[in-house]
Amino acid sequence: MARARAILSALALAYRRDWTAFQSLAGNNFFLITAFLLRTAGIFVYLIMGLVVLFPLSTDPLRKIPPSRLALWPLDRRDRWVLRLASPWINPLTWGLAALAVWGAGRTVSVGLWALIAGVFAGTFLISAMPLPGGNGMFRRVPQFPGLLNQLVRKNVREILATLDFYTALILSLAVLAYRIFGPALPPEAFMAMTVLVVGAMSSYAQCLFGLDGEGGLSRYRLLPVRGWQLLLAKDVAFLSVVIPLTLPLALLPGIGAALVALAVGHAPAVEHPRPQTRWRFSTGGGLGNGVIQLIALAMTTSGIYLTSTWFLAAAVAAWAVSVWWYGRDVERVLG
Amino acid sequence: MGEGLATSRFAAAPVTMEDMISCRNLTRRFGEFTAVNGLNLEVAAGAICAFLGPNGAGKSTTVKMMTGLLAPTSGDVIVCGLNAAANPLELKRRIGVLPEDLGLFDDLTVEEHLLLTGDIYGITRQETKARASQLLHALSLEHGRRTFAASCSHGMRKKTAFAMALLPNPAVLFLDEPFEAIDPVTAKIMRDLLQSVARHGVTVFLTSHILSMVERIAHQIVMIRKGTKVWDSTVGELPQSLEDHYFDLVETPVVEELEWLGPARS
Repeated sequence: MARARAILSALALAYRRDWTAFQSLAGNNFFLITAFLLRTAGIFVYLIMGLVVLFPLSTDPLRKIPPSRLALWPLDRRDRWVLRLASPWINPLTWGLAALAVWGAGRTVSVGLWALIAGVFAGTFLISAMPLPGGNGMFRRVPQFPGLLNQLVRKNVREILATLDFYTALILSLAVLAYRIFGPALPPEAFMAMTVLVVGAMSSYAQCLFGLDGEGGLSRYRLLPVRGWQLLLAKDVAFLSVVIPLTLPLALLPGIGAALVALAVGHAPAVEHPRPQTRWRFSTGGGLGNGVIQLIALAMTTSGIYLTSTWFLAAAVAAWAVSVWWYGRDVERVLG
Repeated sequence: MGEGLATSRFAAAPVTMEDMISCRNLTRRFGEFTAVNGLNLEVAAGAICAFLGPNGAGKSTTVKMMTGLLAPTSGDVIVCGLNAAANPLELKRRIGVLPEDLGLFDDLTVEEHLLLTGDIYGITRQETKARASQLLHALSLEHGRRTFAASCSHGMRKKTAFAMALLPNPAVLFLDEPFEAIDPVTAKIMRDLLQSVARHGVTVFLTSHILSMVERIAHQIVMIRKGTKVWDSTVGELPQSLEDHYFDLVETPVVEELEWLGPARS
């Protein structure tokens, strides 16, 4: 029992540290938009965010111990049973579900909601406990890009696909697409607003472009005989190749303009104050000020292109190109 | 001490007598701390030079200065005829580096790392694929070519980084601890490859703590302690075994009995 207790205690510590990674949500632009602009009207959006967050929160805590280490420890059958039964209760979500079950007993609507959350939780828990397949198929199928930066762009796309920002934006984009196909006609301004929301959901990533490269990746960047602007360009091409398809069901040209402006503003914190990021979490931007400036700039660009003139798109392209050139020099300086 | 070494002494460095690496009074300070102090060093084309010393002696700092990643506080480093501090980008095009942390991207597979290297160094796709295929075969990486670096074993990661350093056919190879934490077969394969590239005129500069391997592969031995060079000679000029000489000059091991192990049995 003492052995199992020691392991559970270490697991709880690791899990608590992992939960702090969810504080990244507070530094995310999408959270800012919904908190400041939508307020009570943002229930639908909060539900989407809750659903997206639920997946990484529902993983089996026992997975934090490498299987080889678990196999090496002198644990008897009883210890292993204790670990298996007790470890799910390290996850606060398990306690929340249990509390919700007690509270919702006899209330039909609550039981349905509870069943949905519990279903997602149980499904993710079981899948995460299974050994990973060798494939990582979705990540493998990233398309090829022309030019010498091809593999860097593909790597950067894979990094974006490992953030929760992308899945939130994807759900929003698909929801609008479904509404366009099956629902009544939307007023044109709705597409503009949804474009701001979708690009806004992705914009925090533009503030931490190097956050998922890790020390090994940064070390490789230093060794590659390429200029700083080329490294930045590979990041931006990946970002645009993910964001532009997401804006297809919305307003394409304003979406492209907004994405370019998000990058132009995001380069400064991404290069000068790089923040390490965690996979399968929301991206954390470079601070409230950067987030607000970025959101205002991309909202103004979207509305400018949508309501006034496509010349705003040309201005966005110019701003982005200058930013790539300027901060490309900084990349070389920061990487040393 | 074998200072003032003439490059012509390297019988196993047959291509040219030109120095591919040259350090003159190379010094690097970090605040009050002097990591490398007035290092003078020449390595001939086609030579395999082993740069030895304990942890914290200044080996990695020296390699960083030689590869253009760190500017010296004073002195010069000339690699492939280029001043490393003044022409870092041009230098990077001519050298291959196996860094201590391997420098791999979690989101690229083994094969994609090699394709990336070919693209960046301007090698045609066809030639890159041919070289990558040969390197993957030589390093027994074929079975794992489609494995993401994040899922690779340490040995696979090291071999991938080694293949990346070799693929552009550089004039000088810098290898930071290439033989550490790999299996004996891989170590032998890497040793044979290094001897082969050196025969083709590539200069190899490596750091290592595995003295038995160094003794078998290196033509030139340089030892450093607390940032200062304490030995520079050919292997043949060593007055005793490399291990004994290293312990005499650089670091004498002190073994303490662990009393909590209990009494010795025999």
